[in-house]
Amino acid sequence: MPDYFMRGWRTAAVLLLWTVCAPVHAQAWDVDRLMQQLAGIPEGQVNYTERKYSALLSKPAVSSGVLSFHRPDSVEKEMRTPNKERYAIAGDEVVVARNGAERRYALASQPALAALAASLRGVLLGDQALLRRYFKMELQGDERAWRLALEPLDASVARYVTRVSVTGSAGRIQSIDTEEASGDHSLLQVQ
Amino acid sequence: MAERRQSRPRFTHSAARYGVALACLCALALAAWKSLRIETDFGAFLPRSSTLEQRLLISQLREGVVSRLMLIALDGADEQKLAQASRDLTERLNGAPGFDYASNGSLERFLEQGEVLMRNRYALSPAVTPDRFTPPALRAALEEQLAQLASPMGMLARNVMARDPTGEFLAVLRELDSGGVPALRGGVWFSADGKRVFILAQTRAAGFDSQGQAQAMRTVRELATQAAPGVNLSLTGPGVFAAEARRLIEHDARLLSLCSAGFILALMLFAYRSPLAVLLVALPVAFGLLAGMLLVQAVFGSVHALTVAFAATLLGEAVDYPNYLLLNAAPGEPLSGAAQRIGRTLALAVLTTVASALALAMSGFQGLAQLGVLTMSGILVAGLATRWLLPWLLREAPAVPRHRLPSLTAAPGLKWASAAVLVMLIGAAAWTVLAGRGPWEEDLVALSPAPPGLRELDARLRADMGAAEAGVFVASAGASAEAALAEAERIRPLLERWKSDHWIRAYDSPASLLPARDTQLRRLAALPEPATLEAELRTALRGLPFRPDAFTPFVRDVATARGQTPVSRASYDGTPFGAKLRAQLIELDGQWLALTPLSGVTDTAQLAQAAERQGGSASRLIDLKRISTRMVDGYRDDALRQTGLGALIILTLLAAGLRSPARVLRVTAPAAAGLAATAAVLMLAGVKLSVFHLVALLLVLGVGLNYALFFERPPHGAEERGRTRLSLAVCALSTIATFGFMSLSSAPVLHAIGATVALGALLCLGFSALWSPSASHTDTPAS
Repeated sequence: MPDYFMRGWRTAAVLLLWTVCAPVHAQAWDVDRLMQQLAGIPEGQVNYTERKYSALLSKPAVSSGVLSFHRPDSVEKEMRTPNKERYAIAGDEVVVARNGAERRYALASQPALAALAASLRGVLLGDQALLRRYFKMELQGDERAWRLALEPLDASVARYVTRVSVTGSAGRIQSIDTEEASGDHSLLQVQ
Repeated sequence: MAERRQSRPRFTHSAARYGVALACLCALALAAWKSLRIETDFGAFLPRSSTLEQRLLISQLREGVVSRLMLIALDGADEQKLAQASRDLTERLNGAPGFDYASNGSLERFLEQGEVLMRNRYALSPAVTPDRFTPPALRAALEEQLAQLASPMGMLARNVMARDPTGEFLAVLRELDSGGVPALRGGVWFSADGKRVFILAQTRAAGFDSQGQAQAMRTVRELATQAAPGVNLSLTGPGVFAAEARRLIEHDARLLSLCSAGFILALMLFAYRSPLAVLLVALPVAFGLLAGMLLVQAVFGSVHALTVAFAATLLGEAVDYPNYLLLNAAPGEPLSGAAQRIGRTLALAVLTTVASALALAMSGFQGLAQLGVLTMSGILVAGLATRWLLPWLLREAPAVPRHRLPSLTAAPGLKWASAAVLVMLIGAAAWTVLAGRGPWEEDLVALSPAPPGLRELDARLRADMGAAEAGVFVASAGASAEAALAEAERIRPLLERWKSDHWIRAYDSPASLLPARDTQLRRLAALPEPATLEAELRTALRGLPFRPDAFTPFVRDVATARGQTPVSRASYDGTPFGAKLRAQLIELDGQWLALTPLSGVTDTAQLAQAAERQGGSASRLIDLKRISTRMVDGYRDDALRQTGLGALIILTLLAAGLRSPARVLRVTAPAAAGLAATAAVLMLAGVKLSVFHLVALLLVLGVGLNYALFFERPPHGAEERGRTRLSLAVCALSTIATFGFMSLSSAPVLHAIGATVALGALLCLGFSALWSPSASHTDTPAS
């Protein structure tokens, strides 16, 4: 009991301090600051590994490839193993190239698709307005080790995606974990 | 200006006679009130049809899926708000009474409604063959599912993966996707510019059930104010047309009838200065109207609301006869004597008008036939009442105040000038016709009583939505529903070929939802036994990272499917597919037709030829537009023939009645001139002549002949000439006012008929006055 009490008290104290100090401390760690940092990193590409955890699988399905992003709004996920696939989000559509065929989908056609694209674009390019359009954002941790939780605002998105958690340090993203309504989740780690 | 000779007509006859007449009138009114069944089905204004294609067209227009579709558009808010409004309204409409279903393009909505497809996927998917469940095929399917799992797009298919690893549900959905739907934004249908969302709803009420459609529109409006206050709502579709047209016509008919009745009443009061005289004028008209309505009810089993609306036109014509009698009788002259004196002219006027309405009564449009019967019987009764009832009621003619009328200075020059103007008009009209602008309206849709504003809105929304008019389809016939479907399935390879040749963009076969029974049984028989499938699945799973029991739901579903009965129409009851099938699989004259709409047809003639070459097939290419054009042409030809017959009867009547070729010429010339001038003016004004204009021109002929006859009767002295002139002025004013008011209507039918007759009556009066012998006397008018 006292333990709980103590913890609760400490949290309250921290919160109080934080509120009091925030206006004074211009560089306080909050979503605005995180987005500024993400927006400040140069365009480029990173290698990634993705693990898909599913009730259908006895062990996670692993894939890897290259994630590249260019301002103002293009993000490309190129899977190299085990299959060669490419997902290029640019403008208001996503181009999917797999099995030697290329298909185009309008992002706006399905809210879940639009939200997924927004989570990638918003985080990689630091576009706060885009993220806010689809998600409720909650930032935890501090500048050195932060965790941004995105929860879909729209029920038609939440049918498929329940939460996207992004971790990182300052302007560097470490992982993106997408949790699905089916109970599956896929963890993308940046190397 | 006016002076009364006698204070009032004498009631020398017993009031009992008036009592009898009024009692008869009341009895008729009661009979009418008790027995009249007012019908509002706008299908009555579609032509009767003879060939299978024509009956198909009419049944499609009346009850087909196209006629039941209501297109709902929302705009006037931002994209997000519109998408939300679309979802809310669709949700509410799907539970609303009066609607089969509503869809807004949303995938979730479709998946919910598509549960029946998921349940029956093994009977419906064309990919189901015995090879589909061998270890190598299963292996390939599972590898594909693994790739799907790893891909971000796989999320959408994840829900059914364990039940359907071979992707049969997706195969069924692909089968059903006929393309041509508008763009999706926020998961719902949007216009290309993102400013408008669309919802398609299928009403329970048939398209021409204007009352049911009006109720459905009210439901949508109410639900929209609840779901999305502040968002603009537009509704369109054939049903909306019918409901709007009815509302407009009822409103206009009531208002304009009141206006013209009021005007005529005022005119009568001004002319007679005696309420009794006005009552006497009203009696034959009332008898005519009631008798006409009762006869229409007896002949057709109901009276169409439009027919009632048109009753006003009868009013404008029938009122001429009592006026002509009362105004022609000398003050104090026994009315029976006056009736005898003008009897022959009156009889001819009545009979020629009846003959002119004959073409109407014989029309293939049931609505027009009703108008014809109403006019013929109404005019006849009004004429009889004028000739016999009025003299019976009133012994002496009432004193009519004298009115100073402007003298028609019919100088011979004016006569020739009018003839020259007529020739010029006809010449100019003939020239526009020869210059290639056909004078006829060929589009059945243009005969629609819907206001043009609504038709424009409809065209704009349809273009916005990328939904063309459903016009071309293949009709596959069979002795039973099953046989028709089998035929529809049989021609699919041909349709596929047309598709790959880009002759059509897509087709929407009812056989996708309801494959032939044999086809379904063959697919279900291809499913392996549970033990076999389990063994083969185990082989296929070897080395893949799936859990061994991951696809147990799949094995269970296949086992269930093996015991299933084939999908029937009943399987789709209560779903949008059920409603769709009801529209695409119809029974007509004891045979069944499966309809496969084609979209994106590049060249109809080319398709028709290709279909022809198939030869001996029970499937036929149907082009609704072409059929309807041909039908409209056919009806116009009929109408012209009937008009010709009417004209012939009129000439015979005149020849028999006037007994002098010169007099026949004197009577027919001004009426024919008025008719020709009216038609010429309409053509020069760029009006395309429709069946409704023909009707109106017939009325003009009737009115014109009346004037010419009244003018032609050789007058005895200036006194009588003055009375003739007064009676004609009153008759013409009442006709022109009645139809003039009607031309103010925004309903195209009422406007067309009103404007044509008002113009025609004026022109006929002018020609009669200028060309008739009584007008060429230049002595002083009655003063």
